[in-house]
Amino acid sequence: MPLIINQQPVSDDRWISILDAEQLAAQAADADLIVAWDLYQQQPQALAERSGQLGLAIPNDLDVTELTALLPRLALIAVDFPSFADGRAFSQVQQLRRAGFSGQIRACGDVTWDRLRFMHRCGIDAMQIDAQRYTPEMLRAFTEIKVRNQAAAGDAHSLSRQQDALNDH
Amino acid sequence: MYLYSELDQQLIDERVEQYRDQTRRFLAGQIPEAEFRILRLQNGLYIQRHAPMLRIAINYGLLSSTQLRGLAKVSRDYDRGYAHFTTRQNIQFNWPTLESVPDLLADLAKVQMHSIQTSGSCIRSVTSDHLAGVVAGEIEDPRPWSEIIRQWAALHPEFAYLPRKFKIAVTGCEQDRAAVQVHDIGVRLTRNTSGDCGFEILVGGGLGRTPMIGKQIRAFLPQQDLLSYLEAILRVYNLLGRRDNKFKSRIKILVDALGADAFRDKVEAEWLQIKDSNLRLTQAKIDRVKGYFQPPAYEADASADSSYAAKLASERDFAVWIERNSFAHKVPGYRAVTLTLKGLLQVPGNVTDVQMDAVADLADRYNFGEIRSTHEQNLVFAHVKQADLYPLWQQLLALNLARPVVGTIQDMIVCPGLDFCSLANAETHSVAREINTRFDDLDYLYELGEIKLRMSGCINACAHHHVAHIGILGVDKKGEQYYQFTLGGSSATDASLGKVLGKSVPQAEVADTLEKILALFVEIRIEGERFIDTVRRVGNQPFKEHVYAVDH
Repeated sequence: MPLIINQQPVSDDRWISILDAEQLAAQAADADLIVAWDLYQQQPQALAERSGQLGLAIPNDLDVTELTALLPRLALIAVDFPSFADGRAFSQVQQLRRAGFSGQIRACGDVTWDRLRFMHRCGIDAMQIDAQRYTPEMLRAFTEIKVRNQAAAGDAHSLSRQQDALNDH
Repeated sequence: MYLYSELDQQLIDERVEQYRDQTRRFLAGQIPEAEFRILRLQNGLYIQRHAPMLRIAINYGLLSSTQLRGLAKVSRDYDRGYAHFTTRQNIQFNWPTLESVPDLLADLAKVQMHSIQTSGSCIRSVTSDHLAGVVAGEIEDPRPWSEIIRQWAALHPEFAYLPRKFKIAVTGCEQDRAAVQVHDIGVRLTRNTSGDCGFEILVGGGLGRTPMIGKQIRAFLPQQDLLSYLEAILRVYNLLGRRDNKFKSRIKILVDALGADAFRDKVEAEWLQIKDSNLRLTQAKIDRVKGYFQPPAYEADASADSSYAAKLASERDFAVWIERNSFAHKVPGYRAVTLTLKGLLQVPGNVTDVQMDAVADLADRYNFGEIRSTHEQNLVFAHVKQADLYPLWQQLLALNLARPVVGTIQDMIVCPGLDFCSLANAETHSVAREINTRFDDLDYLYELGEIKLRMSGCINACAHHHVAHIGILGVDKKGEQYYQFTLGGSSATDASLGKVLGKSVPQAEVADTLEKILALFVEIRIEGERFIDTVRRVGNQPFKEHVYAVDH
């Protein structure tokens, strides 16, 4: 599946998505895995003993404060956009970045051109896109609108708008 | 008024080009219909019964004469020479083609107008008091705060895919003309016991299928915390609002399900995390925005004029118009004036391109080039010098914008109804015409006193019938159009929801039913009593008995 990281297409993805115990058992101990949240909860200990990096795929109705203690051990969190109308993960990501999570946050599900910029602005740095909806032109999404009326995750300026930063300096 | 900076202009220009590309990709089959629906709605475009309908934002109802001329031009170039003012101070075009919308929007962007977030499940354009800044006793002008909210909400990356639409209203006055208690968030300027100015925050008001009055979740919020608090509310709603049933997805349902206290706890917990973030407003920012809303250059000797008093004494019709359609201004020698978009046989809220151009010229001559739209579907000139009132009135008469009906049942708020809207169950315009024709004796209307009459063509309640003194709701009964009456609603400071009178009546009986209600009111009112106060005193029952009495 096509993948965009930091606004660029990426061809090699070392992460393997794991949905059930059977798939998990088949993986080498040093493989980097994105494990479904349900599965993780069933065997947190087994996953802690692996040498590969750990990522979690979380549902979009999860209260992400439940992950707080776990964040230092995670290298990736995959968030879910189950439909084009559903925007819960935008808020989850804001909260994860605010909690200091600096690993990769990957958007999965209904990820298409017209939400890429919003995803990026909220703190999502990786987008996994259905092959049928991927075109190289869609990278334009990041620059269609350059004006920022809100500070986003990681912005250095201390005010709420790009405008104000300009006016006050 | 607020003047766009280069970045504000760049944002709306970029949004036009983004939408142009979205339209192109949709027409090329690269965006599925269901997805494009969401994209076009976020940009104000509905597909209606006959054609698309495009809603343009008039943020907090404030327009310049240049903008109004821009709207007139667009109505000529892309539509049929008219437009419709809505109950949220915005304006709608009924006939642009889907393909032409990007060009239309590019033309409007030249006069700093746009359709950003005028529809869809996002933060809608902010509404406010149409007499902001000119009425005596205002705690503070609500417009700078409305503008600050507008900037924050515009293309907010986190809140473009909410469970449902989200409406914010701001008022700076004890007397509420912005209906803040029936908005998703109502922001009321207030003072705390030490005299500091801040906000009272209401959440979870709304109309539609499940009408509710908003609940106070904070009695006093310091001014610099406005955006962080709004963001906390929106985040809680975005995460927890229901998405499984569109009729249960407004924030009012969430607040009601959790209870206002539990909802408040969640908001406050989230707010604690962000109140000291970069959302905190600096005094420099607040002052800069306030600077755009300074009073115009009033003349110090405006009240010295004697022609006004002479005309009031000699011209009865002028005096009636002043009494009905104008408001006291806090500056001596000035008044605020309502231009009624309620012509006798016209669709409430409709204006022609000729009227728009003429109003723009009058605004330049008499009102510092400013025009305001109201949620009651009228226009307001907020700063007219008393010596100018008579010549203004004469010119408004010629434009059919001076009917002295403000506050009467002829000043009704009416949604587009079945004639235009694909959601509607029933016609509204034909019924409004029928009512206007039946009750065309203005002296009788004045004797009735203030009555807010509002009519919606379906349960979505765009005309806010639940909070009308007399509300009329169109319903479909096996293919026939019926109308249900509610009595006793109000969207003012004493907000209340109207109660259903009884079984709905067929279209042919709407005017008769209204006549019976008014006849009983005249019979039982205590002298000088307003209709709403009579209903509150006696309840619906006497009206019900009178309306549904079997004829002998």
